[in-house]
This record gives sequence, C-alpha cells and structure tokens, in this order.
Amino acid sequence: MPTMNLTQTLVMGLIQVVAVLILIFVMVPLLTFAERKVIGYIQVRLGATRTAGGLVGITGSLNRGMWAMGKVPVLSILRGLPVFIADILKLILKEDIIPAKAERSVFTLAPIISVMAAFGVFSAIAFSPGALFIFPKGFPIVGGLPFMGFISDVNVGVLYILGLSSVGVYGIVLGAWASNSKYPLLGGLRSAAQIVSYEVPLTLSLLTPVILAGSLNFRELSIRLTTGADMHWLAAFPLFVGFFIYTTCGFAETNRTPFDLPEAETELVAGFHTEYSGMKFGFFYLAEYTNMIVVSCFASAFFLGGYYLLPFGLQRFIPASVPFLGQPSILFFFLKVFAILFAFLWVRATLPRYRYDQLMDVGWKYLIPLTLVNLFAAAIIRFAF
Amino acid sequence: MFKNEEMEINLGPQHPSTHGVLRVKLRLDGETVTKCTPVIGYLHRGVEKICENKTYFQGQVWTDRLDYVAAISNNLGWAEGVEKLFGIEVPRRAKYIRTLLTEQNRLASHLLWLATHALDIGAMTVFLYAFREREYLLDLFEAFCGARLTTTAFRIGGLREDLPPGFIKDAQVFQDRFLHCLYEYEELLTENRIWKKRTVGVAKLNAEDCIALGVTGPVLRAAGVPYDIRKAFPNAAYAEMDFEIPTRTEADTYARYLVRLAEMRQSHRIIQQCLDGLPEGPVMAKIPKILRSEVNEIYHPIEAPKGELGYYFVSEKGGTMPYRMHVRAPSFVNLQALPKMIEGRLLADVIAAIGTLDVVLGEIDR
Repeated sequence: MPTMNLTQTLVMGLIQVVAVLILIFVMVPLLTFAERKVIGYIQVRLGATRTAGGLVGITGSLNRGMWAMGKVPVLSILRGLPVFIADILKLILKEDIIPAKAERSVFTLAPIISVMAAFGVFSAIAFSPGALFIFPKGFPIVGGLPFMGFISDVNVGVLYILGLSSVGVYGIVLGAWASNSKYPLLGGLRSAAQIVSYEVPLTLSLLTPVILAGSLNFRELSIRLTTGADMHWLAAFPLFVGFFIYTTCGFAETNRTPFDLPEAETELVAGFHTEYSGMKFGFFYLAEYTNMIVVSCFASAFFLGGYYLLPFGLQRFIPASVPFLGQPSILFFFLKVFAILFAFLWVRATLPRYRYDQLMDVGWKYLIPLTLVNLFAAAIIRFAF
Repeated sequence: MFKNEEMEINLGPQHPSTHGVLRVKLRLDGETVTKCTPVIGYLHRGVEKICENKTYFQGQVWTDRLDYVAAISNNLGWAEGVEKLFGIEVPRRAKYIRTLLTEQNRLASHLLWLATHALDIGAMTVFLYAFREREYLLDLFEAFCGARLTTTAFRIGGLREDLPPGFIKDAQVFQDRFLHCLYEYEELLTENRIWKKRTVGVAKLNAEDCIALGVTGPVLRAAGVPYDIRKAFPNAAYAEMDFEIPTRTEADTYARYLVRLAEMRQSHRIIQQCLDGLPEGPVMAKIPKILRSEVNEIYHPIEAPKGELGYYFVSEKGGTMPYRMHVRAPSFVNLQALPKMIEGRLLADVIAAIGTLDVVLGEIDR
C-alpha cells in the first residue's frame, strides 16, 4: 500500500465511510423488500405488488408500471420494489410523537444509541481482503490510491465489534424505560435479559475461530481460517458446530424469530418500541436490520470461508491457480451474507416463538455448555495437532 | 431502596391477540401471572332481548352475529330449536344439506382457530395457509346463500333453496384437497419442537375442572371426556353419519390442538358422507306463513365448533315472537376457565390459553 499523507488519509477515510453508509442504506431497505417478498412467497401470496395510492399521479404511474411488470415472469418478482422508498418516506414524514409522560431526553437518545452502535460496527468489517479498485491518477487528492474493501484494518477488530454491538442493548433498555409505559417496560426487561444471556455463547462461539486462527483482525482471521497453512483439517468440525451456535445466538441478538420476545407482537403489542413513531421508530428498525447484516457478515467471514468460495477449510482443494474460484472475491463474501440473510427471513416464516423461560433455558443450559465444549475441542486441535 | 411490586396490566380490549374486544386484567410478578380477571361486555348488543321483539323467522338473522366465524352452526341451533318448539319435521334432504354446511362451517371455524392460535404463538405462515382453505369454504357459503360470514343459511322448516348448481362439484374439489392441506399444517407444527415446548403442559384443565366450570367442546374432549352432542343428542342428520369423537387425556394446549385437528378429519368424513348420500326430495316442509306458539319452553343444544351451543325458548299463547330467549354460548362458559388455566404461569401462556380456548367475543357478549 502506498503511504498516504494526512489529507489523503482523511479524504480516503471519508470516501470509504460514505461508501459503507450507502451500502447500509441500500441493503437495509432492500432487505425489508426481500422480507416482504420471501415471506410472501413462502406463505403462498405475492407480497407487496404496489405502492399506496390509486392510478393517478406518481404512485399511479408506478402502480401501472408494476402491473405491466407482473405479466413478465422474472420481472414480476420485482413488483413492489418502489415500496421501500414509500416505507422510508413514510417513516420520515410521519409525526414524531413523544408521550407526555416519557423521559424526553432519554427517549430521544435511545434510538440514536441503537443505530450508532449498529453502524459503528461496520468500521471494522472488511468486505474484501484487499483493494477493490485503484483511483485513476488524475483523481483529485486520492489519485493513484487503492480503494479498500474496509474502512479500517483494526488489529483487535473482533473485540471492537463485540464491544460496540453490545452497546446496542442500552438503546433498547433505555428506550423501553423512558417510554414510561408497561408493555415497553416488559419488552425492555426481556430484551436486557435475553441479550445479556446470549452475549456469552455468542462471544464464546466466536472464540473458536479466534483460537484456531490466532488473530483478532477481522480480515486476517478470515483468510487464515480458510487458507492458513497450519490449519489442521480437524478444525472444520469445531467451526461447523460454532457456525450453528453463532447463528442461533445471532438470531437472539438481533431479536429475530424464534427469539423475538422483546417485540413479541402478540404478547407485548410491539415490545420496547410500542411508544415510538416516525423516524425514532425508524432508527430502531434500521438498527435491527443493520444488526442482521452484521451477524451475517460475521458468520460469512468466520465460519463460511469469507472471501473464498468454500467454507470449513475445503478451499484447500481448489488451488490458488484456478482463475476466479480459487481467488478471494467480494462476490463470494456477499453471496454468503445474502444466504444467511435469506435464512433469517426463512426462519421467521417457519418457526413459532420461544417462551421467556424456555429462551433462558436454551441459552444457559444448552448453548453455553456446548460452546465451552466446542471451544475446548478447538483449543486441542490448535495446540495438539 | 429496592422493593417488590406487582404490576397490573390490561391485556386488551385493544390488543393484537385477544381476538376481538376481550380485556384481561393481569397482575404480574415479573413475567408470572398472579391474578387474572377477564372483563367482558365491550361487544354487548342485547341480542337476546332484541330477539324477543322479532318473529321466529326474523330472529335467525341475529344469531349470525353471535359466533360470527361459525354463523351456520348458530343458524342450525336457532332453526332446529324453533322447529322443536312448533313440532315441525324437516325433509331429509334439508337435514343432509344442513349437516353438510354445518360441518363445512366447523372446518372454517377450526381453521380460523388454527390460524390465529398459531399466529399468537408466533408461527405466522400457518395463518395464511389456513386462511387459504377457509377462503374456499367461504366462497362455497357465498354460492349457497349469498353471504360469506353472516349467512342466515336456513329457514324454519328447511332451506329456502336447494344447493346451487355446481356446489357439489366444488365441495368435492375441496374434499379432495383438504387432507393434504391438513398435512401441510401438521408438518409445520405437530412435531415442531418450539411449538411443542409452547403447548405441551401449558394451560392444563383436567376433566373435573372442565365439568365443574361447564366447559364443553374440544377443551372438554381434550381432557378425556367423550361428550359430543352430535352423538349424545343427535340433531340434523348426525344420527345417520358414521364418525368418531376424538379425545385425548393430556388436557393441555397441545392435546386440544391434536383434538381439533382430529375433529377436522372427522368433519371431512361427515361432509363426504353427506355429499355421497345426499337424498332426493324437497328441501322445505309445509309450514304456515305465521307461526303462532302455545305456552311452551324448550332447550335445544347443538355441537358448535366451540362447544355446546344451546337455545332456550319460552313461548306464550298465540305469540309470534319468543317470550324469552336465551343463548347458552360455549365461548362464554369456556372463558371462565381462563383464570384457572393460567394463574401462576407466565405471560406468554396467557396468549396460548386464550388461543386454545378459541373464544369469539360476539358470542360472549351477545
């Protein structure tokens, strides 16, 4: 990497931050669209096919266009795509109500905490192992510099990400408490207990790849796990088990079905965000979906082979000389991310919800012992073979 | 500095899973329910009083609005009750068609129960699957009587009209498909570990308590008591039908789920027998234009999807309207089992218990 002066570093950082923010703001609405569609098709219906409004004006022309698209077999899936713009517009334009008895400052702060924690995590996630492209020579300030697939290459990236993502629960608990209402309070308490409980197996399951690879750097860890020369073939087993534990805990951390107790709509109306409306609710929503993407990125990088095609050390069977398949690529990374995101939606459409005590049982009685055993196995494989 | 305090919350009357306007006052110790008081009356319309000012022919319209997801069962109870009061004998074909429609309505009602119960517990796909089949049934009702929900399907003395052309063919299409649909629901739920965790052993109500509280229907049968009015006091054409009364002994939410699914299979059997053995003949008995009663009182129970639905008529001499009418609504009686089922259990079980009781507020509040 060519050395950069201060201005170049700052500008480069800014460009990458903006790029990642754009990525988030594109992926989250697309994810909500995908959620409508995937769950729709699983439930033998079409999902969103039109925006609100009739057949006149802007929405009218959109609706007519989508109606025409519905007649083309492949394109018909994309009907309803403009709905995500309508969704965002609705959230932004909607009246922002603060209940009279709410604690105003905390009530406002809570969604910001949630969303900041979710976004901050992205600064240490590497989407690609190296440069995506190099700015052309004539480009102002950053000409000739590579555009990396990550914002910063933190040495203790995993630690940073885990620390920051556990801040998100404060947003939920504070928001629930500040609403000064009973259902949010129950939701907030559930959420606190749930996220604290599942943080333990989540972190422990992430220790498995950390031990195996001997690194805390997001990018390095991922690459070493897949192609590291000292990786024993037995390492695939703890990784395989770890993947399932991690994904399970990830579902719990992001409050998704079957662990969506904090916002169990049929029990607690809307859980911790019952009193929220407008863009404040939008922030919680954004945080939840961003966290889903974070969890998917983690699972993809640490358990499913990250930038390489095959997971669990199978990549060694494809020599690096094979053109595309043997090389690391951002495409493989996102392919796995999307697969896991699809699993999130799939599970939501399939499984019922756990009860509060059963959720705790699953966490403390099964997942934590299982992760400890798995961790132990990983440690043996790392140091004995 | 710290103190323990029980929290009182109102589940309803506006709440996503109280199936209407039921309000349940709960005292919570953390997540544990220490006291539960159902509060009803938000949908009271005074149907029983209104019916005292309607002729026997007009009153049936009001029964549609009792248990609005099983309107045909309500119609059957009313029509048969009035016929019993006046000693009217209904033609055999009309009886068969009544049985057919009532059983289809039982399927529609149980499907709605399955849909909402599963949704309450968080399995939302079953909701839409069940609604797909219910939709087909409602289309059949629409073909028969023009209405999908508030059917007023029968007339005193039989039926207004025979089955419309094509009805039997359409009903047979449903028959051929339905068992596979049941299999689809079962595949999602019956052996699902989370579903079992949420339902096995939850909201138990043993046979003694059921009988003491007057609970009937699938809740009673899931406690091991094979009491079904279709067998105990056969009405319509049930005496000629071959079917079983499914029972379980576990008396929990899961047992009720299995009983209701088994009941759907039995209803499917009855419908098939009605379709195959539909006799020829008129569908309406000869009755006078105006019915004038003697001094009399009768109680006529039928097996509604929710349990024993009874109509109690008191008539006066020369009257064209009931002197007094009372409905023994199964949901109303079943709901009083709710505190017994859930006190000392968790908040999430309240939702499961309300779902498994299958209450409809139109019937509770009347």
